[in-house]
Amino acid sequence: MKSQTETIDLNRRDFLRDGSFASLMVMLGTVELRAQNVPDPKVEKTYAGDPVNVALIGCGQHGREILRHLALLGNASVVATCDTYPAMLRRTKDLAPKAEPTEDYKQVLGRKDVEAVVIATPSHQHKQIVLDALAAGKHVYCEAPLANTIEDARAIAKAAQDHPRFVFQSGLQMRSDPQRRFLLDFVRAGAAGRNVYARAQWQKKTSWRQASPNPERELAVNWRLRSETSLGLVGEIGMHQIDVLGWFMNARPVAVTGHGHIVQWNDGRDVPDTVHASFEFPGHVMLNYSASLANSFDADYEMIYGTDAAVMLRQNKAWMFKEVDAPLLGWEVYARKDTFYKETGIALVANATKLVAQGDKPVEEAPFAENPLHFALESFLINVNELKTGVEDFNATFNPNDTPALVKYLASIKRQPAAGYREGYEAAVTAIVANQAIQKRTRIPFSKEWFDIG
Amino acid sequence: MQFTSRTATALAACLLAAGLFVSAHAQDRVKYESQPGSKVKLDGTSNIHDWTVESQIIAGFMEWESSYPLDPSQATPPALKVVPKVEVSIPVRTLKSGKTLMDKVMYEAIKQTEHPKIEYKLKEMTLSKEARKAGDPIKFDTKGELTVSGKTKPISMVVAIEKGDGDALKARGATPVKMTDFGIAPPAPKVALGMIKTSEEVKVTFEWITKKAP
Repeated sequence: MKSQTETIDLNRRDFLRDGSFASLMVMLGTVELRAQNVPDPKVEKTYAGDPVNVALIGCGQHGREILRHLALLGNASVVATCDTYPAMLRRTKDLAPKAEPTEDYKQVLGRKDVEAVVIATPSHQHKQIVLDALAAGKHVYCEAPLANTIEDARAIAKAAQDHPRFVFQSGLQMRSDPQRRFLLDFVRAGAAGRNVYARAQWQKKTSWRQASPNPERELAVNWRLRSETSLGLVGEIGMHQIDVLGWFMNARPVAVTGHGHIVQWNDGRDVPDTVHASFEFPGHVMLNYSASLANSFDADYEMIYGTDAAVMLRQNKAWMFKEVDAPLLGWEVYARKDTFYKETGIALVANATKLVAQGDKPVEEAPFAENPLHFALESFLINVNELKTGVEDFNATFNPNDTPALVKYLASIKRQPAAGYREGYEAAVTAIVANQAIQKRTRIPFSKEWFDIG
Repeated sequence: MQFTSRTATALAACLLAAGLFVSAHAQDRVKYESQPGSKVKLDGTSNIHDWTVESQIIAGFMEWESSYPLDPSQATPPALKVVPKVEVSIPVRTLKSGKTLMDKVMYEAIKQTEHPKIEYKLKEMTLSKEARKAGDPIKFDTKGELTVSGKTKPISMVVAIEKGDGDALKARGATPVKMTDFGIAPPAPKVALGMIKTSEEVKVTFEWITKKAP
């Protein structure tokens, strides 16, 4: 039997063929990584404090997805929906029966009972709404990307920074996902060795075009297809994947080279339907990103390649593919293994060992509870309640005008994991610059000042 | 009825006396009010792990006889002539464990919605006989009433007083309490197969910062 310390000059497939039964059993595991603290969806959740009165601004497809989650969260009460297009408001009726529909967001911000707003309008419209919402004293959840220009994103981040009494959450929902938070620790602890390379893709065969009844509506609803109003695939979709990988590697990109073309949907759009972007990270670590609307093969995933193993994330599942010379991890023997063509992956389930020990099966997937957006909105609402009661209790006890002491107190309140204005801003800058590189088919080094909020 | 000059004089004398009394009272006492930066900590245990709950919101005040030298630099502080008036309250919802589920279990156990505050009132206070050097905090033996979850119980503890920045005064102390004394059943939440059992003993530790009222 080959020992773990022996130098083995084999690739993984050779090792599988020649290895002993025991090592085969170990190697036959794609170890699935899953978070231990994923709440059991069957247990009904209740929350401290009253439900937060929320308004949704922007009721398109994604806005309605947000409403679906808010309807299931016990700590939310949707009191208003807002969209400039009445048909969209009508479609929210079933999801938010108690909400008052309105076409003017300022009317929503004027309502005293509205405590928090979720902004899901097209990205280029975020800035003014966020600034007005914070000025009106509302907690804000703003969808990603924050904005389409560095100036607008910075204005948003700065306003959030200047309003410490209110929660500002950026819509990078992966940052609140227990599965990804578990993988973060796993990768940062070096379980896959030293990171050497990363890759992510998103592929779907779809025009990305939405049906519209008239030319005016066509312009409004298909804002994603025009470079004037859209950061394209890298900004609207890729930024979540790129952010997760940068977060895992604990680094910001230093340069990006991009390419983008319209290869399939030449229907008058000027946003590429197929894009590639290579991000250079410190220490010669590259992150290659590709997205396409022309082919759907292998859908979407993120990968980090380390010196000991590669880790693959596919939505809420993750696996580890070990190198033959990597040290043995005790728990992997018990972990579930999945085969991917000629490779075997050890399924990375955070509570795997515990579940095996208890003779229990992993928590069954629940369609909504397993969704990162669900966790992000839940974090937002809990944090709103924490901050709101924190301000009330401080003001009732101490001098309410003692802002430095209040800010210090609020900073000491532990919050649920969520992307704040800083994470949102940095991800937006990365996506904005990557989109420029893609549009110009060139290499752009990141300037450090771009990441400064000021 | 008609005012005579005599009744008017008597009335004036009364008012004067009352005024004098009020001002004498105010001069007699010096008030210190709660400031941000205070901390109260509850330490408990269970069959699974130890737990800690903290709050930074301690509301209230203390009133000392103004002639009493609250100066730890003296070697032998004099005995108290008058028991200071001390009233403290802590909003239950500001107590945090860092875990939302545990917080919820705790608030329910304390019946936070009906009894949103934990309150304390000082009843007796004497200079501690414990040996001390000049510069050490001045220690007092105290007796007071603690109200948790609507139930009031006497508690006694040693409280150390020291000077803070400027005209701030810091009070520190610790005391064990029993949940059952306040009608609180030690939580056994319906999680982890109902196997978590909390011990009823809780250690309360506080550091309360106050500042002379303007």
